[in-house]
This record gives sequence, C-alpha cells and structure tokens, in this order.
Amino acid sequence: MSRETGTTYWRSLHELQGTPQFEEMLHREFPEAASELPEGISRRRWLQLMGASLLLGGVSGCRWEAEQFAPFAVRPPNRTPGVPQRFATSHEVGGGSRGLLVTCYDGRPTKVEGNPDDPLSCGGTDAYDQAAILNLYDPDRSDSLVEERGGQRFTRDWSDFDRFASQQFANLKQRNGKGLFLLSEATSSPTFHRLLVELQEHYPEAVCLEYESVSRDNERRGSQLAFGRTLRTHYDLDHARVVACLDADPLGMHPAATRHTRDWAAHRDPDSGSFFNRVYAVESQLSITGSQADHRLPVQSSSIRLITAILEALISKQLGDFPPEAGRSGHRDTRAPQSAPRLPFSPDVVLSPDALQFVEALADDLVRSRGESLLIAGHTQPADVHARVHRINEWLGNTGTTVRYTAEPDAGRLSHRAAIDFVCTELRDGNVDTLLMIGGNPVYDAPSEVRFADALQQAQTSIHLSAYRDETSELCTWHLPRAHAFEVWGDTRSHNGTYSVSQPLIEPLLAGRSSLQLLAALSTGDPPASGVPGERLVQDTFHSLFPESSGRAWDTTLQDGFLADSALESVAVSTVSALQVTVDAIPLTPSGRSLEVVFSPSRSVYDGRFANNAWLQELPEPLSKLTWDNAAILSPATACEFGIDHGDVVTIESNGRSIEIPVYVLPGQAENSIGLPLGYGRTAAGTVAGHVGRDVEPVGVNVSTFRSIDHMYFESGVTITPTGRRHDLATTQEHFAIDRVGLEEISGRVGALVRQGTVSEYAEHPDFAHHEHPEIPLWEQPEHDGPQWGMSIDLSKCIGCNACVVACQSENNIPVVGKEQVLKGREMHWLRLDRYFTGDMDEPEVVQQPVACHHCENAPCEQVCPVAATVHSDDGLNDMVYNRCIGTRYCANNCPYKVRRFNFFDYQLPVVQPEQSLKQLAFNPEVTVRSRGVMEKCTYCVQRIRNTSIIADNDRRPLEDGEVQTACQQSCPAQAITFGDLKLAGSRVATEQSKPRAYGMLDELNVKPRTKYLARIHNPNPALEATT
Amino acid sequence: MSAVPIPTRPAQASLRPPLVDGEPTLSSITDAVCSIVERPQTPRAWYIAFAISGSLTLMLFGLIAYLIASGVGVWGNNSPVFWGWPIVNFVFWVGIGHAGTLISAILFLFRQQWRTSINRFAEAMTIFAVTCAGIFPAIHVGRIWLVYWLAPYPNQMAMWPNFRSPLLWDVFAVTAYATVSMLFWYLGMIPDLATLRDRATSRVRQIAYGLFSLGWTGSARQWHVLEKAYLLLAALATPLVLSVHTIVSFDFAVSQVPGWHTTIFPPYFVAGAVFSGFAMVITLLVPARQLFGLKNLITPRHLDVMCRIILATSCMVGYAYATEFFTAWYSGNRFEQFAFLNRMQGPYAWAYWTMVICNVLIPQLYWFKRFRSSPWLMVGVAICVNIGMWFERFVITVTSLSRDFLPSSWDYFQPTAVDVLMFVGSFGLFFTLFLLFCRFLPIVAMAEVKTVLPSPPATES
Repeated sequence: MSRETGTTYWRSLHELQGTPQFEEMLHREFPEAASELPEGISRRRWLQLMGASLLLGGVSGCRWEAEQFAPFAVRPPNRTPGVPQRFATSHEVGGGSRGLLVTCYDGRPTKVEGNPDDPLSCGGTDAYDQAAILNLYDPDRSDSLVEERGGQRFTRDWSDFDRFASQQFANLKQRNGKGLFLLSEATSSPTFHRLLVELQEHYPEAVCLEYESVSRDNERRGSQLAFGRTLRTHYDLDHARVVACLDADPLGMHPAATRHTRDWAAHRDPDSGSFFNRVYAVESQLSITGSQADHRLPVQSSSIRLITAILEALISKQLGDFPPEAGRSGHRDTRAPQSAPRLPFSPDVVLSPDALQFVEALADDLVRSRGESLLIAGHTQPADVHARVHRINEWLGNTGTTVRYTAEPDAGRLSHRAAIDFVCTELRDGNVDTLLMIGGNPVYDAPSEVRFADALQQAQTSIHLSAYRDETSELCTWHLPRAHAFEVWGDTRSHNGTYSVSQPLIEPLLAGRSSLQLLAALSTGDPPASGVPGERLVQDTFHSLFPESSGRAWDTTLQDGFLADSALESVAVSTVSALQVTVDAIPLTPSGRSLEVVFSPSRSVYDGRFANNAWLQELPEPLSKLTWDNAAILSPATACEFGIDHGDVVTIESNGRSIEIPVYVLPGQAENSIGLPLGYGRTAAGTVAGHVGRDVEPVGVNVSTFRSIDHMYFESGVTITPTGRRHDLATTQEHFAIDRVGLEEISGRVGALVRQGTVSEYAEHPDFAHHEHPEIPLWEQPEHDGPQWGMSIDLSKCIGCNACVVACQSENNIPVVGKEQVLKGREMHWLRLDRYFTGDMDEPEVVQQPVACHHCENAPCEQVCPVAATVHSDDGLNDMVYNRCIGTRYCANNCPYKVRRFNFFDYQLPVVQPEQSLKQLAFNPEVTVRSRGVMEKCTYCVQRIRNTSIIADNDRRPLEDGEVQTACQQSCPAQAITFGDLKLAGSRVATEQSKPRAYGMLDELNVKPRTKYLARIHNPNPALEATT
Repeated sequence: MSAVPIPTRPAQASLRPPLVDGEPTLSSITDAVCSIVERPQTPRAWYIAFAISGSLTLMLFGLIAYLIASGVGVWGNNSPVFWGWPIVNFVFWVGIGHAGTLISAILFLFRQQWRTSINRFAEAMTIFAVTCAGIFPAIHVGRIWLVYWLAPYPNQMAMWPNFRSPLLWDVFAVTAYATVSMLFWYLGMIPDLATLRDRATSRVRQIAYGLFSLGWTGSARQWHVLEKAYLLLAALATPLVLSVHTIVSFDFAVSQVPGWHTTIFPPYFVAGAVFSGFAMVITLLVPARQLFGLKNLITPRHLDVMCRIILATSCMVGYAYATEFFTAWYSGNRFEQFAFLNRMQGPYAWAYWTMVICNVLIPQLYWFKRFRSSPWLMVGVAICVNIGMWFERFVITVTSLSRDFLPSSWDYFQPTAVDVLMFVGSFGLFFTLFLLFCRFLPIVAMAEVKTVLPSPPATES
C-alpha cells in the first residue's frame, strides 16, 4: 500500500490509516467473533470445550420428523392448486342411484352434493349420499386380498388372485360353468348387466343371482300379478292432490325419494299459487312420510291388506255412484270397476269407528280427486296388496297421470328372497363349486332360517368382493377388496332409468378393484394381469346402449353426470282380468290382538352397509332421535300393556327364534306392532360399528337373526317378555324420561316455537304466525353496507330426512363424539332437527324444526364472552373466533336456541391417530378443525360466503342472489332452506322472510334472529277434522 | 413484648355484660393466644387433621392436573348445563368468604366491638375460602393455559377483554376482594406478629415473625398510622363486601336464562353470602374455641350474636325465595314461570327442597335460646345452612340451565366422580390452610381484644 501510486482504494478508515487492528485482521483466518483459541490452552479446558460441542451437536439432532413435499414441476392441466374442482358422478344404494356433484381439493374428494340437473336428485341428496365421503376414507376398509387355505389365512395381492382365478375359471369353463354361482348385490349398472350376459355366454351353466336384504321384490311381484308382467312403478307427486300411503314411505325410503320430496314440497307452499296436496298415511311404523301426513292411521302392517280391501270396496262403490265425468280434473275418464269386489264382512265389524271413518274419508277424497290422486303401497306389503293398489289407481284414472309404469330393466331375474333360498339349497346339496359374491353381506343379513353361514362352508371355493373384510368375507376362501364408487369407473341407471356415469375422483386408496373390473376379468375366463381398465368397460356399454348418440355425447354425459332423456319409456298398462280371482282368493283375516314385528331398514345405517360410518351412527334417527343403537320400537299403549319401560331389554320370540333387544317407546307406533330396525349388531364391521375379532363391541342388535324367510318384512304372533335388564339408549332429545311438569310445559310451548295452521286458517288469517312484540331499541342500530345474510326455513316443507345434518357435518369438519358423550348430552351437530310430538300420545302429530345458529342481530352470546371471542361481522354474521376462545362456555348458557357446541375433549383426537389418519382426508380444508376447549357453532357456511364473494369481486360484479348456498340448503331435497342477502331487493330469502307466515322463534327475547321460520301449513280433510 | 396502648374504658361498660369472660388481664390474653402457636409439641390431633386435609389437597391438585391433561369433559357438564359444579363451588366459596370482611370491616365501622374476638378467625376463613373459590373459575375454562387473556393487559393482539361481560367484572371483583381482604387481614395482624416475634425463643421463629411484623415497635406513631390505615382499608373493604357478591350475581342476572335473569339477585346473593359466611364461622369457631381453650375470649355472647345474624339473613333469604316466585308469577312470562315451577316439581325438586329446608326452616330453630347457647346444636344448624347454601347455588345454576327455552335441548345433569372429589378436595385445601393458620398465626386479634377488656379495678388509677 503505497501512497505514490495515484488513486488509492481503501476498504475502511482503519485500512486507510493502517491501524494495527487492521493489520491483525488481514492476517487472521476468522473474523473477530469466531476467535481462535489462544495459545497454551489447557488440556482440561480443551476437553471441556470439545465435550460441550459434542453435546450441542447432539442437540441439533432433535428435530421434527422430516416430511417430504413434492411440488408439481408442471401444473396439471385444468387445475389451480387450492381451487376446488367439482365432478359429476353418482352413488348407488341397493340398486337405486342418484346423481351427485363431488367437490375435490387437489384431487381429494371432500364433499358430496346433489347434482342440480339430475332429474332424480334435483340437487337434493339423502344422508347416505352425504356420508359416502367418510366411507371413502374409512381406514377399516379392506386393503388387501386374503386367501384362506387349510384353516390359515394368507395376505395376497391381485396377481396371486389373477393366477388362481385363471386356473379356477379355466376349469369352470371346461365344465361350461357348471357349479359356478354368482351372487351379487342389487345394482342398476348397465355394464354390470352386460358383463353378466357375457359371463353367461362363456359359462352357460353358471347361475347368476341377486340378493338384497331390503328389496322391492313385492312390488315386482305385485305388478306381475296386476299386469301379467314385471313393471316398475313411478309416482308423480307433482300432479297428485291426494296421496295415500299404505305402509309406504315415498319421501323417506324409496330410490326416488329425493324427487318425490321435491315434488311433494312444491305443493306444500300455500303461497305458490298451485294446489296444496293432502297426504294420508296408513302404517305401522312412524315413517318420514307418515310424520308429514295430514292424516295418519297407525295400524299393524298385517292389517294393511284388510284396509286396502275395504278401501277398494268403498272406492268401487263410490265410483259406481259418481258418473265418470264428475271428477275434479274433468278431462280424464276413470274406469269404473267391472264388478265391485265384495267383502266377506262388514267393515264396521273389523275396524274401530275412528279407523272406519278415516278409511271412508280417504276413499271419498281419493274418488273426488280421481285422476289426481295417488295410492302407494310400501315394499313391506305382499304382492296382492300392490296388485289391489294398481287396480284402485287404474279405477281412479291415476294410471298415466300420477302413477306411471315402465319396463323393469332386469325383469327376468329371480326374486331376492327366492335367490337366497335357492343358493343355500344348492350349497347344501353340494352343487356349488365356486360361489362368487359381489358386494353384499349375506352372512350378516340373510334371514336366519337359510343358515347362510353354514351353507357357505359347503362351497369348494367362495370369493367375496367387498369393501370391508366383513362377516361374509371372513368365511370365504378368498376376500377381494372392493374399491369405493368414488375411486373407479362405473355407471348406474337411476330409478327412472336415467343413465349416469360415475368417474373416478381419486386413485384407489387401498388396492381395491371395482365389481366391473372383477367381472370383466372373470367373464372371459382370462383375467389380464393389471386389471381391466374400467373406463373402457363403461364406454363400451355406453356405445352399445346408445349407438346413435353423437361423438360428443360421451363427453357431455361425463361432464353432466347423466345422459339427458335416457329415462325409461312409460308403457301403457291395464290390469289383467284374472286379477280379481287371484286377489279375492287370498283370505282376509281381521288382525286380532296378536303382536307383530316389522323389519325396516335403519334410517341411519340402512341394512348395515353404512354401519361403520361414524357420521351415520351418530346421526339422530329422525323420529326416535336415537344414536349408536337400534331398539325395538313400541307404542306407549303396548309398552304399558306389557309392563315394559323405555330402555328395558326384552326377549322377543317366535317359532323357536328369539332375540334380546332394548325397547324404545315411540309415540305414533301402531299398537301391538314392534319395529325392528335392520343394520345393527355387526360383528365384523370395523372399529366404529363393532368387530368381535378386534374386541370392538357391536353397536346395537342384529335383528336379521330373527327374520324368517317367509316373513321378510313383518311377522305376526310373536311374544315379548322383559328380561329385567336395562340398556342405556343414547338419544339427542329427551335425554331422560320427562316428568309431568316438563311434559305439560312442552305441550304449552311447542305451539309458539313451531307455529302451525291449516290451509283454511291461513287463507283466513295469513298472518296467524306473526306475534306482535314491541321492540324498542335502546341504542341506535348500526347500519352496514354490503350484503346482510339471512336464512329462512319453511317448516311446511321440512320432512326431517337428516340430509342437511350430515351435509353440515361433512362441510364443517364436525367431530363425532361417540355413544358415551351423546349419553352425556355432548353431541356436536351444528344443525339439529328438533322433533316434537303434539296431540294424542298414540296418534301424535310430528313436527320437525331444523335449528342452527340464528345469527341474532342482538346476539346474547356476544355480550357475555369475557374475551370477545364471538363477535358480529359487518354482514350480519355472528362470528366465532376459535383462536380467541378460552372456553368459559358463558355464550352457550346465554344462547336461547342452545346451538353452541363445546369441545369438552379433543374430539378430533381419534382422527389424528396414525391408524385412523386416512380419515383426515375427509376434512374440508376451508374450515378450521377445532381444538379441545373451544366453542363452535353454525357459521352460515362463512367459508362459502367468502369464497363466492372473492370470485364475484375478481369478476368485478355484485353477488347474485342464490350464488351462495349453505351446505344444508344445498342438500335439502325439499328446498325448505333459503339463504341469501336480506338487503338485496327481491332476493329469494327476503321474499320468503316477508311472507305473512314468517316468524322468528323466540323473537320476544328481542335477539332479532336472522333465521326465520315459515309456519307449517297442513291440509286436513274437513270431514276428519270436524271430529278431532 | 411490644407496647400495648392503655385500654380506653367504654363509657357504659358496667351496664353491659363484658365482651370477654374470666376477668382476663392483658398478659393472660397474650398468653392464651400465643400459647397456641408457641406450644413446643404440636398436638397429635393437629397432625391427624393435617394429614387428612393435606391428602385431600394433594388429591385436588392431582385432579386439576388430570383435568388439564384431559379436558373439562371429566366433569358432568353437558349441553345445556355448560356450568356445573365448578361454578356452584365457586359461588359457594365466595359466599363463605363474605363473613370475614363483613365482621372486620363493616362491624368495625359500626363500632361493634364484640367483633374483636372473632375477626381474625373470620378474616382468615375469608381468605382461605376466596382461595378455594378462585381456583374453580380458573380451571373451569376450556383452555386453562390461556386464562390470562381475561386480564386487561396491552398485548401484541391489540385485544382488550370484553368489558361488557359480567364474567370479566367478576374477575375484577374477586381479585379486588381477595387483595383487600388479604391486606386487611395482614395489616391487623402486624402488632400480634410482633408480639410473637418478641416472645419467640427459636431463631427461625424470630426471623420469620420478624420479617412479617415489618419492624413493628409499638410506638405511638406506628399505632397512629396503623389505625388510620386500618380504618381506610375498612372503608375500602366495606363496599367490596357488597360488590363482590353483587357482581357474582351479575354472572347470572345479566344473562337471559330463565331463573337467572332477575333483578333481585344482587341483594339476595349478598344476604345469602353473609348467611353462609356466618354459618361457616360458627362451624369452625365452636370446635376451635373448644380445642384451643379460647372460651374466655370467644364467649357465648359472640356465638349468640352470630346466631341472630344467621337467623336474620335466613329470613332475608327466605323472603328472596318467595319474592322470586311472586315475580315469576307476576311477570306473566311463561319461561320464567316454568323455571320456578320446575325447581319445585321438576327433576331437581329434591335439591330445591333440600335448600328450602336447610336455609329457611332449620335456621328458625335459632329463635330458641337453647339453640343459640348450646354450641353443638348451634353447629348442627350451621352445618345445615352450609349444605343448604351449596344447594342454593346448585339449584340456581344447574336447574335453570337444564331446562331453558327450547324443550328439545333440555337435559339432566349428573356429576362425575371428579366433580365430587374436586369439591371434597377444595375442603381439603381450605382446612389445610386453616390448620397452618391455627398452628403458626395468632388466631385471635390480641391487640384488639385488649381494647375491649372490662375496666381494671378502680384502685389501679
């Protein structure tokens, strides 16, 4: 560094000045902070330092488990990370399917919604559809093939099975398929049926059967009896003024229930300008339809035949009295009966005066509205009742208007009942070499007499394709895991025949294959190693079914989820003349006092196939509000007669069969009729519903063991005796028996909480539901720009089907708490259905009232929270800030609607266990998963509001009416729920809330709820009303 | 020994019965009180009692740890009974904590000199009861680790607590009450601590009492300052006695739950608190006076006066019960009417009638002289009052919540073992603190009692 060389460059003043510090720095290897050890360090010091560094080095090894994230190097087409996609698909239960839209986040299905364009779902769903997501992510689903050989079980993979099958089926093929039996669950899949035909070609002597424990056998046989051929019956509730249900539940338990509900609800609105229908129900079990009926006659299921006959006689007599053109419709002539059926007895001998009056009024009403009336018989009733009903509908001129017939797609097959009997006989006779079971669980749900489990042992080879390693799988030589419907290609035809394609929404999570893939592989006897591509199978069927369709039709079908105008064609029918003879030959016996049992599919878990679905197990049964159990349903009078209390365990016996089950006393149940819900008592379902092998107690009691093949739906002459033991039934309402003071108060209150009136009362006083309360504000009410959210719920339309409850649970990541917690009253549903009985204990009226957070403008919860964890947003939402909540629970105490739910424990803890972690995929990423100790409640689906607002903001346009749909609203098949901006003039919710029958529940508290109810209107028959 | 001011002679001393019996002298009082603390050998009974209460306290803390580890679901609380036993226990203990400050402050201001024999005891009871009370709301919240969010402190969230919430007022009221009671108790104890310091024979005692007596010498100036401060604190504590339970009652009264939403709650709660507080003082004092030989200082007259207060407050509480019914009926409000009908006839009728019998009927026995003079009969009645007052809080909290507006949400509350054991454990904590107090602190305010001694013989002057 010389000063002589012109320009000097210096790095710091120290350098410029050439200080000693700078000189030192230049020669040091490390900067000052990392000083080198001075000379002459002691050995002891050196060891200390080295030891310390070693320890610190060890500490750096303590870190979280490394997780690998792989970003997309190239973004997949049509996908923006974090932006959900929706795919059309369909979901099939017991041969009936519905079109759905499934929301997927980054390739992960999270939410099921109805497909609004689908002619059968019309956007609505039922609880089973909504809960299908949880089944998809059920960790108990089978993830491997299992072969049983010599009493030992081996885990296999698909290539092992393919090797086995190619040999096995080659042998079978040589024998023309002799000894090959195929037992499948009911399916409407055209591809499945196409492949069955193919299979029959390759194995001509193979036997293909279908079995469902809850089937529509009786209806098919009924149409056979009435029309001489197997036809499918379709009901058009959109044109029916008077609907009479004989042990039928068209709104609740029917493949076309969502469509029925939509059409029925359209005529339950007194402001619609259209007619207001009237529903009669004659039934033993309180059904969804029965609970909504204007008149209901609880009778034993075994008496329905008699009542149908009396009804028939009365109608034929009346039709004789009325000239055909005098009907209300006028434009349609009715066919008067050729010869009036005669009753072997006088109706007043066999019916009570009340019942007789009911039947007479019903007959009268049906005749008056002929051509626009509708009589429906339920699947529990024998064929002759169906045949009579067909005949009555024909007489009334309803055929072709409110009731339509189409061909039954697989008319030739054996009935389910005969099929299970036949296969068991063949098994026992040693005629079955290979039994291939596709879906179903006959070991669990076949009637006890056929002893399916024993018979199954006689098969040389038994193969079961099933989503779970269930009771049947455990007894088979091969168990094959079945993929979930959302994982594979498939197709279905809904009840009206509309063709739908279901596309895979996610790769199979657990090594499953679809029934189509399996059948395709086996039908040719030469399975390809990698499985058959499902898409090709389905596409082939599509092209063979609709050969004239244009090239884009497949793409359109895939996108829409269904092929428009592919419904089955109506056929013209007339009852055969032999019907009179056949039907009259069946003796009519007035039912005595003998007890009957009635088997019906559970409204929570159906026939047991949804048993391992925790959402459905915890779903309060719509009428009994029972969760996590089934029980023998008894009417209060019958329970009293036999000295049985709610919760007593009883023994029910008949012909050497017996069953022990707790009793639930339900008003509205027919006297001397015991309801037994199917689908419980699973012994190999999984960790939710019970698995004896894994020490999980079965939930509920399996009533199939009490079912006789001759009495699949009801059986008379049973006995009931208390065992003296008690059982805790976890209900979400009336957690305990209510005392006299409470009952009196409830009956006094319900009228104000659920306001009801009749059509004529409404015409006279449209504002009957409006109660005037002075609302004097103590301070100036804040005004806000922008939308003000509100909801209205039409109690006239709500049938209490529970679809909204599961939709809410799925959308909002609501935890399942389990039976013990429900017993303590800690269920977490944000949306609940309050069910009240009014009137007589034995023939009560049922009202359903969905209750979620009312988003009060003067929210009492907000004022009392000491940490301001619940506050109001500018758009009128009562926001719950989970992060801020410390859990004083004061808000919940002060909420008059009791809609706030508290996380008493870490209810999501089971889901984060490694063995259950698959369930985490079902979470909606838009909604916070709440931790222990915080309060939660309905948010009006705030995540949907915000998402939709962002989209509208990006498009620089205001939100449109109806653009934001809450999950409950979307799923409602009756469209009872309306949601939107109250400030937007002419919005649907504002229109609904301005109707005269709109009212706020508990509005006298001046909390100003944003949710309003529309009073329930019903339409009683004046002839019956006068006497009651 | 520290100097004690010459007792001023009450003007009408000769007309009234003396406040202490047995013609005690200044030194006999000192000896009587200090000997309890100075006993060289701790009595076996103390050890037994301490072992029991100490175990219960440990159980309480064990249960709290369990609670924090598992969640508040270990209690029986449910929907709609979101507040159960913990809140009942809280109000119960706060109520008990009333008598102390009332005796000390209000009676001091009203120059009720009979209070001097029992005020230390009652104040200690107050502080221990408030300690027990304070535990429950703190552990009652769902996320205990965030309970400090109740405090108004500047923070990075820029969040204040919600000043509209009665629960927050409650936090302030109870903390203020606990602080003032503690100061009041300690301030009054300084001269007595100094006495113990001066009499101490062991080094440990000298240092411990020396530290806490804050260099008290008994100079006139110190007495002057002390009495000023005492008077001021008494004046400060007096409104607190009324406010704390008024505000506790606001937790209920300000909400809209039928059965809670009543304007009568503040006076009714204060009366109830005084009632339960005095009952607890009697429950503790009668055995203590027997045990520690303080019969001359705590005379039958003291007990008699307390019984009269219990009788008076019992009548007030009974009147409040009746008024509630009248108000409910007169309001014409269906929910309100049912809330009270349900108390009498609903599923919790047993609790309601327990409360009425224990709080209104049994204390009427104090009209009879025999019940006010026989210590054990007196304690029997007082224990009934304690039970009844716990049930009063149970009836208000649980019965009202279990059946509010919508019948669909009605439910029955059942306590769990944890509920019961925590309540028992809180008694353990209370008695543990009390036993420590009896063993190490002057349980009677010696200096104050000396001021109310009967006048010494005339010859002395």
